Amino acid sequence: MSAATPKGVLTTPIFKNNPIALQILGICSALAVTTSMSVSLVMTLAVIFVTAFSNLFVSLIRQHIPSSIRIIVQMTIIASLVIVVDQILKAFAYEISKQLSVFVGLIITNCIVMGRAEGFAMTNPPKLAFLDGIGNGLGYGFILMTVGFIRELFGAGNVFGFTVLQPVQDGGWYVPNGLLLLPPSAFFIIGLIIWALRETHPEQVEENEFKMKENSQPKEAV
Amino acid sequence: MAQSNNSIKKILTVAFALCIVCSVIVSTAAVALRPLQQLNQELDRKTNILSVANLYEPGMDVEAEFEKITARVVDLRTGEYTDEFDPETFDSFEAARDPATGRTLSGDRDIAGLSRVENYSTVYLVGDPDDPEQVILPIRGQGLWGLMRGYISLEGDGNTFVGITYYEHSETPGLGAEVNNPRWQALWDGKKVFADEESLQPAISLVKGGASEATEVDALAGATLTSRGVTNMLQFWLSPEGFGEYLARFRSEVSPDEAQDATVELESEGA
Amino acid sequence: MGIRQTLDNLEPHFHKGGKYEKFYPLYEAVDTIFYSPPDVAKTTAHVRDGIDLKRIMITVWFCTFPAMFFGMWNAGWQANMAIADGFASMDGWREAITMLLAGGHDVDSLWANFVLGATYFLPIYLVTFVVGGFWEVLFAVKRGHEVNEGFFVTSVLYALILPATIPLWQVALGITFGVVIGKEIFGGTGKNFLNPALTGRAFLYFAYPAQISGDAVWVAADGFTGATALSVAYQDGMAALSSQWSWWDAFLGFMPGSIGETSTLAIFIGAAVLLWTKIASWRIMLGVFLGMVATSALLNLAGSESNPMFAMPWYWHLVVGGFAFGMVFMATDPVSASMTNPGRLIFGIVIGVMTVLIRVVNPAFPEGIMLAILFANLFAPLIDHFFVQANIKRRMKRTGVPAEETA
Repeated sequence: MSAATPKGVLTTPIFKNNPIALQILGICSALAVTTSMSVSLVMTLAVIFVTAFSNLFVSLIRQHIPSSIRIIVQMTIIASLVIVVDQILKAFAYEISKQLSVFVGLIITNCIVMGRAEGFAMTNPPKLAFLDGIGNGLGYGFILMTVGFIRELFGAGNVFGFTVLQPVQDGGWYVPNGLLLLPPSAFFIIGLIIWALRETHPEQVEENEFKMKENSQPKEAV
Repeated sequence: MAQSNNSIKKILTVAFALCIVCSVIVSTAAVALRPLQQLNQELDRKTNILSVANLYEPGMDVEAEFEKITARVVDLRTGEYTDEFDPETFDSFEAARDPATGRTLSGDRDIAGLSRVENYSTVYLVGDPDDPEQVILPIRGQGLWGLMRGYISLEGDGNTFVGITYYEHSETPGLGAEVNNPRWQALWDGKKVFADEESLQPAISLVKGGASEATEVDALAGATLTSRGVTNMLQFWLSPEGFGEYLARFRSEVSPDEAQDATVELESEGA
Repeated sequence: MGIRQTLDNLEPHFHKGGKYEKFYPLYEAVDTIFYSPPDVAKTTAHVRDGIDLKRIMITVWFCTFPAMFFGMWNAGWQANMAIADGFASMDGWREAITMLLAGGHDVDSLWANFVLGATYFLPIYLVTFVVGGFWEVLFAVKRGHEVNEGFFVTSVLYALILPATIPLWQVALGITFGVVIGKEIFGGTGKNFLNPALTGRAFLYFAYPAQISGDAVWVAADGFTGATALSVAYQDGMAALSSQWSWWDAFLGFMPGSIGETSTLAIFIGAAVLLWTKIASWRIMLGVFLGMVATSALLNLAGSESNPMFAMPWYWHLVVGGFAFGMVFMATDPVSASMTNPGRLIFGIVIGVMTVLIRVVNPAFPEGIMLAILFANLFAPLIDHFFVQANIKRRMKRTGVPAEETA
């Protein structure tokens, strides 16, 4: 990787090096919490907060972390931050924390947070690490919000809880797509987003592990 | 630097310092926010109760409205109020598990799929506790995918529905989960629990393709098994096994004694 | 003669540098429908006969005809019976066409039933063909390969496993999902690991359950609710099932259900041709059948007080729901099934076992064959892997040298 610049670490994770779409990290929570946009938004903010501050703190004490217990140190910092976030949500956004249920707690195991702490914050100064945390949180959030938008709009006819497509159950015309309310749909949507991203950023496509024989073409017309 | 970082002393120091700092932060957050969180939980429960009684409007002062409501613990076997438990802290799930306050249901009698049921339950009375406008009863039972928990609200005659709401369920979105669709919930207003004034067995049920009787409600479209679960849990909780005894006190035509006899009969049948 | 000449005259436009170079796949598709492809291998070493994928697929397509025609008649018959019982017919253009061609809703008239059923099935098929074909051609043009004949089969199978009353826009969405997600994103025919027709139906099943499951969707009459044989058995037990339909009714197909699935007899006629021409693998069919018989016999023995489906014997499992259709047309899909011979048997057994398990033990889904086949599709490569490995090991033992890699 070339030398990290503040602007670079903030923006590359959104499209070029998206933690979900390219590194395929943090899928689990992306499937679970994206049924509605408001929940996705809160989850996004929570992850941005945790990633940014865990990066910051890890980076601050990176000179003093013994390498033999560095993973545990990172985990402890992340876990503490997550518990604090969880407590705050329960106190100030009870409805949403009920919907997020265990998934706030599971940010601890979100590979994005851990990956950035180990992969970036351990070797970079605090300010840059903090921005990198925000950037990766944004990348995560970008996917989450997109998936949340599609699922809520077509699954329930709403955007942020406001009815856009009036569903038939409530006397409207729109037949909601029930599949989008089930977690597997997020798989399809993330897959399609990855497809679109790789069409626009062909450098993300991996090398073929093995090549199939070309389709035999009919004779060329002379 | 790296050398000294990996010395035993340094490792212990760092680990110890980190633990102290983190535990202070975490416990401060937990302790400081605890009251707010409990308030939220309370508020959530009260909002559910108010909304089943059709008293809830978004943005209202839940606490003030809840003043109208009195919580009492009822002994389901006799239908009498009891002061043994504090309604604020009584937990019917715990009670069902405890052999002293719950009993095991077997086979045919366990239509709601509960396996154990409590002998005491908390009810909420709207208005004057001695002559309430509405009686709110907690219900629960198996739906298609799992336990559904909710409240029903009856008028002061112990027979007419005001509303039903589920605050916890895992039914299929778009089908069974429509139990919480306001349009479906609105169907319940004015429905009757019992077919006639004397009967003790609830007649209320969900029927497919157009409810015609006062004791029938339209089933959830496409959700046969969830609808069946809802019917079963109502049949259970409103029968003498559940709140039947207690409801008898509101119903002029049925004397509590009769209800009690019915229970005895039921229990001997089951045994 | 005339066709050949027209095609030949047009051909240069579609080759490299021609006007319509991009649309070569379309030209190729039309050409090979009428004539064998020009580049058939002629030496004896590899090819046993001149049949190509398109001929195979068209044979399968023809094999669905008995089920298709019976299905159209049955859809109309079911609807006309309901209408005769006083339910209103669905208004709109379908009614207009029925009136024009058949003049009424006469239950006893073969023609009236057929026409009414056709007004439901043909639009479904047409939409499937147009929308699915659009995706097929789009990907072929974009990727520069020929249009895959498999779509012929996919489209008709997909249309046959839908209920008559399904809204056409859902048909379009389902086939889109089936073709794009189920097949094209993995590289098209030959590289898909799921059966595209079933993938499309599974999508609809989870996305719009109200229009593809339940009691109200099978018979095309307004407000009529008639459960399929499977849901009757599931809800009210075997006695209720056999009082409503005899086994022969079910075998011949006189009951509500998805358009093509009801008549086991019609499906078996197609199956006979498929087996005779060796297009479908008898091992898969046998496996599905054996797995189903064994599992249902086991469950019959086990018995259950609360679940009446435990008591359903194997000969009923065979004739109700989509079992026969799935066994004959879906499980034998050459791409998504296992490729090794012993693997095919195992693959079939997995389907048979899973079908009965889902039908009987699962509380939510009365029908199991669709999910069972998709489930087994996922395992097909793994099953093959074990048999290929075993084969290699055996050869090693016999010859002492590693086998040459064979394609």
